[in-house]
Amino acid sequence: MKKYQGYILAFLVILGLGLMAAWFLYDPVSSFSLSVPGMDNRKKGPAASAEKVAIGEDFILFKSIPDVPGTNWPRFRGGQFDNINKENVRLVSKLGDPAAHILWKLGLGEGHAAPAVYDGRVYLLDYDEVKKEDALRCFSLLKGEELWRRGYHVHLKRNHGLSRTIPAVTKDYVLTIGPRCQVMCCSRSSGAFLWGFDLGREFQAEVPFWYTGQCPLIDNDTAVIAVGGKSLVIGVDCKTGKKAWETPNPHNWKMSHASLIPMTLAGQKMYVYCAIGGVCGIAAGGPGPGKILWETTAFAPSVVAPSPVVMDEGRIFVSAGYGAGSALLQVTGSNGKFTVKVLQKLKPQEGLASEQQTPVYYGGYLYGILPKDAGALRNQFVCCKGNDCKSILMNSGKTERFGLGPYIFADGKFFILNDDGELTIAKASPAGFTVLDKTRIIDGQDSWGPIAITGGYLLMRDSKTLVCLDIRAKQ
Amino acid sequence: MPNRREFLNTLMRGGILAALGLISGSVILRSRDKNACSGGFACSSCGKSQSCSLPAALAARQMVWQLDPSKCIQCGRCATNCVMTPSAVKCTHAYAMCGYCDLCGGYLKPGTKTLDTAAEHQLCPTNALKRKFIEDPFFEYTVEEELCIGCGKCVKGCSAFGNGSLQLQVRHDRCKNCNECSIARNCPSQAFTRVPANKPSLLKSFGKEPLEDAGRKGVRNA
Repeated sequence: MKKYQGYILAFLVILGLGLMAAWFLYDPVSSFSLSVPGMDNRKKGPAASAEKVAIGEDFILFKSIPDVPGTNWPRFRGGQFDNINKENVRLVSKLGDPAAHILWKLGLGEGHAAPAVYDGRVYLLDYDEVKKEDALRCFSLLKGEELWRRGYHVHLKRNHGLSRTIPAVTKDYVLTIGPRCQVMCCSRSSGAFLWGFDLGREFQAEVPFWYTGQCPLIDNDTAVIAVGGKSLVIGVDCKTGKKAWETPNPHNWKMSHASLIPMTLAGQKMYVYCAIGGVCGIAAGGPGPGKILWETTAFAPSVVAPSPVVMDEGRIFVSAGYGAGSALLQVTGSNGKFTVKVLQKLKPQEGLASEQQTPVYYGGYLYGILPKDAGALRNQFVCCKGNDCKSILMNSGKTERFGLGPYIFADGKFFILNDDGELTIAKASPAGFTVLDKTRIIDGQDSWGPIAITGGYLLMRDSKTLVCLDIRAKQ
Repeated sequence: MPNRREFLNTLMRGGILAALGLISGSVILRSRDKNACSGGFACSSCGKSQSCSLPAALAARQMVWQLDPSKCIQCGRCATNCVMTPSAVKCTHAYAMCGYCDLCGGYLKPGTKTLDTAAEHQLCPTNALKRKFIEDPFFEYTVEEELCIGCGKCVKGCSAFGNGSLQLQVRHDRCKNCNECSIARNCPSQAFTRVPANKPSLLKSFGKEPLEDAGRKGVRNA
């Protein structure tokens, strides 16, 4: 045995050295790979189109009709920016046979662009998929006849729909923003092209995800538009098309899908804007129009669709989807100086939040539909106090869930549209939610364009069809 | 009386003929449509499918476990309760439903500011969901099944913020098809159900009808 001891020892030493070498050389994570930015082959540089668009180049006149004064829903969220119809017109609580209420139906390009109404004419910025052009279309409210169409060629690819904004209409002007940030101003009555410019080419604005969702604003014949490029917001004289004022953009905030909402506090009129980057108030008049009066980065999600809800005493509710939740802001000011503080910041499961539509503030309460990530109350129509968005006072119940569709308050009732074209009429208050009627109007999908109601007529759409309903209650 | 030579000749010819007959018969049987019987019926329309012994009828009677995405709440138990490691439940992508978005709720963590492939921005804990730029502004998302553990985090994000094109499905090439499925026993939403082996997928779609076949109708995996 002794004579083998040397061999055994040598074998063990070699084996030990071999194992040691293997231990040093073996890399158990050699198959791992780094996941670092740039692995998706994303194109470098700005994605903005270099396409030069001849805004307002095409026009077709179909028919002329006289104005019908008294039927007005002139912009996104109506005349008072609150999405509440205050006309003294009694509306039905039950539709019964929907066919009996449908005045007319029209095929549209795929999207979510919704109509504004002024003196009996309907204005809608459609996208013509055949001609590949943004088309501002004017219809008669009562018959749905197309009166004129003003458009311009711009190439779009389907991206969760194509069109998605609402024109701003005044006695003299119609103002639109197209999916790729082209701004166009026309004569309201004749459709004559007045002026237009490309926010991307002239102000270095970035087209937001899924195209522009911002609805433009005309305030005292000044077009007010959020840019998010080299200027944050601009004011343009509607008569001349010349820039009247601009707000600098020192933090390089980007354009969101939210729209500018006016607010007056301590005698100062301002526009509240929820940009990608933060929320701010911009002076609307006085000695320094366009000046940033207050700003906060406390609520800065990467995508924002709902517009700010301006409430009493300087309170503002802002919300967004994709898990961002909401925030309740308090703006205070005196002698031209303003400050903002966050009263509440909530995740979607913790209180009122909205992904796409802007909640309605009525009678001191906020009403809205919770997003899909809101836990047990997901997709339910809920209500909370305007000064406490955490405590949900009322919810529509497990059986009454809604999608991303719009809702509007008129004649003491909410008209709520589901994703697939089902219209619910409901009574809602902090005390409860009562469904009065539920009717499928269109057998469609993605019915997300905001509803307009005026003179007892309701305009709603799904992704491809616009419908006008006569919802006047019989005397 | 034939002699022995003639008897052997006859026997050999007969044997060769019989062998040819057997070979031809088996070739004909193999070339027949497995879903059709001699009457030319499809199994689903035949009243005798429960007693028929044709392979297609047998496959139609064999049941396998599948997850119904319309009931799934993405609780994460598919990843931990399966007897297989990693789980036989995988994320499946119904491309026909996908929006090909840059800001993908199934790929990126909520609140992510920079939309890129950095690991810290991804929802998937194993980097199984891959993203590739197609053309402005579209990105394609593919599932690398070898890496997918069936946790459903991407499915939850896609359902909450997107079209719901990412869906969990039992992959039957990996599933042991246990008599009492360990995940089904623990599924809080009772999303597991038995389906015929010849139609093993239960994918949601935009319309009322489910997508029929994960392998053929707008569904791919990396």
